[in-house]
Amino acid sequence: MNATDLVVRKVKKRRPANSILNALPWIGPAIALILFVVVWPAIELIKISMTEISSAGTLDGFNGLENFRKLFENPDLRTVAIRTIFWVFSVVLLTVLLSLPLAQLINQSFPGRKFVRWAMIVPWAASVVMTSIIWKWILELTSGEFNLTLQQLGLQDQPVDWLRDPRYSMYVLIWVAVFVSIPFTTFVILAGLQSIPNDIVEAAQVDGAGPWQIYRGIKFPLLRNALLIATIINLINVFNSFPIIWALTRGGPGYNTDTTITFAYKMAFVEYNMGPSTALGVINFAFIMAIVLIYLRVTKATRDQA
Amino acid sequence: MKKIGLRRLSAIAAVSLSATVLAVIPAHAAGVTIKIITPNYTDAMPAYYEDLNARFMAANPDIKVEHTNLSWDDILVKGRTLVATDSTPDIMNLNTFSDYAAADLLYKATDIFDAATLADFVPAFINNSKYNGTAYAVPDLASARMFFYNKKLLYTSGVNKVPSTWAQVKKAAKKIKAKYPSVYPIALPLGSEEAQAEFAIWTGGNNGRYFDNASQKWVIDSKANVKTMKYLTSLVKAGLTQPSPASTNRTDAFKLFSQGKVAMINASVFFPSTLKDYKSKVDYGIAPFPHSKTGKSITLGVQDYFMAFKKPGNEAAVKAWMNFLFSPSNYAGFLKAAGGFIPATKSASSSVDSSLLPFIEQLPNAIFYPGDLAAWPKVAGALQTQLGTGVIGNPKAALAKIQKVAVAAGTK
Repeated sequence: MNATDLVVRKVKKRRPANSILNALPWIGPAIALILFVVVWPAIELIKISMTEISSAGTLDGFNGLENFRKLFENPDLRTVAIRTIFWVFSVVLLTVLLSLPLAQLINQSFPGRKFVRWAMIVPWAASVVMTSIIWKWILELTSGEFNLTLQQLGLQDQPVDWLRDPRYSMYVLIWVAVFVSIPFTTFVILAGLQSIPNDIVEAAQVDGAGPWQIYRGIKFPLLRNALLIATIINLINVFNSFPIIWALTRGGPGYNTDTTITFAYKMAFVEYNMGPSTALGVINFAFIMAIVLIYLRVTKATRDQA
Repeated sequence: MKKIGLRRLSAIAAVSLSATVLAVIPAHAAGVTIKIITPNYTDAMPAYYEDLNARFMAANPDIKVEHTNLSWDDILVKGRTLVATDSTPDIMNLNTFSDYAAADLLYKATDIFDAATLADFVPAFINNSKYNGTAYAVPDLASARMFFYNKKLLYTSGVNKVPSTWAQVKKAAKKIKAKYPSVYPIALPLGSEEAQAEFAIWTGGNNGRYFDNASQKWVIDSKANVKTMKYLTSLVKAGLTQPSPASTNRTDAFKLFSQGKVAMINASVFFPSTLKDYKSKVDYGIAPFPHSKTGKSITLGVQDYFMAFKKPGNEAAVKAWMNFLFSPSNYAGFLKAAGGFIPATKSASSSVDSSLLPFIEQLPNAIFYPGDLAAWPKVAGALQTQLGTGVIGNPKAALAKIQKVAVAAGTK
């Protein structure tokens, strides 16, 4: 702690109320925006989750925790919740595992690197719905390129219904989610790699460390922050991912590929079960809040460390 | 009912365009504004309504119409959120009405139309528009379904007589499968788009229903329905249907038929025009829908509704618009734009296209959804999402699960 820090602390201690007032004109608009777009909808969400809603959409008064009770009575909630956890963790894990070597690759200098980096970012820059629909066409039963290619190669007699057959569809969804998550993750890790000072690596080389040793002993530990941030942002993105599932399978057949996000939507707008759906909305929101809090903790910890 | 989503994208583009056009018209100084929301049966609907509303507003300078055309996917979602968010429209065209009637949001049909106009609606259709014995909506059009078959696939496989019973369907399917291994003999689209319709028409031919009118009870897990589900499962297990019937939507099945990859299919009255849109070269025939040994052939009648929402001061305006729409020449234009459906009025029925006649002949054998129950939209939703799991899992358990949802939704 140096002298300036001490002065700032003293000032803060002496006039805390005043300094908040002084800051208000600067942070006021941001606070107002947050109140309007985050806090108010959240309060409305909680309020409506304790309201009786008819299938016509009329709000028929406060009903306490009745919507939550009905939600927990739903026989499919358990499997959907377990699937959601499987979905989030497998997508994030695969994404990170694939992004690590990819980031290493595009960190090397080779001719055409710019083009490769550019090509890698396209799936991320494109709209997720668009990417999903393209995958839907690729994997289509009779006219999709994937089945046609397999048939031409003689690897398949009868076309496989990748998206509609519950034996495969969940894995196809996971693949598409990994595909759209890789670019962002790779670039976060790339940024981490580029922030590693060259002299440390050179020092290790002088000491006779091989490439694998350098990676394990120096680079990977220094990537910790980048990995943490990439993981947590991916957790949020993948958990919230609606368009991939909805565009490719609509959560079907039955609820076989639903996550709690698509399940809530399906309950509200296909089965007109508004009340329990709003209750699930609150639970989804709480889950996201928990991850965001962890994220804030982690970023604060890494900042303090630096 | 949903006409297939083939032209959805262009329809959405057209919608946003017409929405912009409407938005730039300055507000009328005095009088009432009514909001109307309708689905696009076809791409021709927005243009039809634009012309209709222009003529209506010219004749009724005090009334301003704000018209929104939506795709079926969008209107099914939006119809539910409008009421909840206090932006209830004045008039809506939808595939269900009963829960709005139960929530006391709608005008009675007698508030909107005089006796002579009401008497012109086809009695069966207006009866389906009643909630607790009172009509709260009017039918705008209807459809019936029949058994479509690919003539070439059937005849060249040695099937000389079009199957009329379940046993014959299975036998024919096996012959087709033997002759054409890459063809799916029967399309069974039990995906969420129209599972409730697909199952209703099969089980209807086995005396199975969703709701028993005599006892006023849900009978989704009845013996007849379980038997139907088991029969359909046997077709799936024998490889006589397209793969993954539980997640194949009607639109997917229609495409397979249009490409000559499916030999037999349940399809609606507008299917011929869909095949034309797909530029299909399939030479098809139409027959009454096959039935079980104990049942008889039926068709599934499905209708949509126009309904007017009670709001202070809008009664005269909605009355004027609805009567304008249902005046004979405007209604003829509506039917033309909607493309290939069965008219809902007697007067329009007298001059239909001859291609509709086989379907109209089936109407006396029509069964309908229990669309007059307030619980129907909920039950239909559960049927749509879950029926398909019956043919890939446990037939009886799937039906029992939906029955539970229906019982909880009530019988009002």
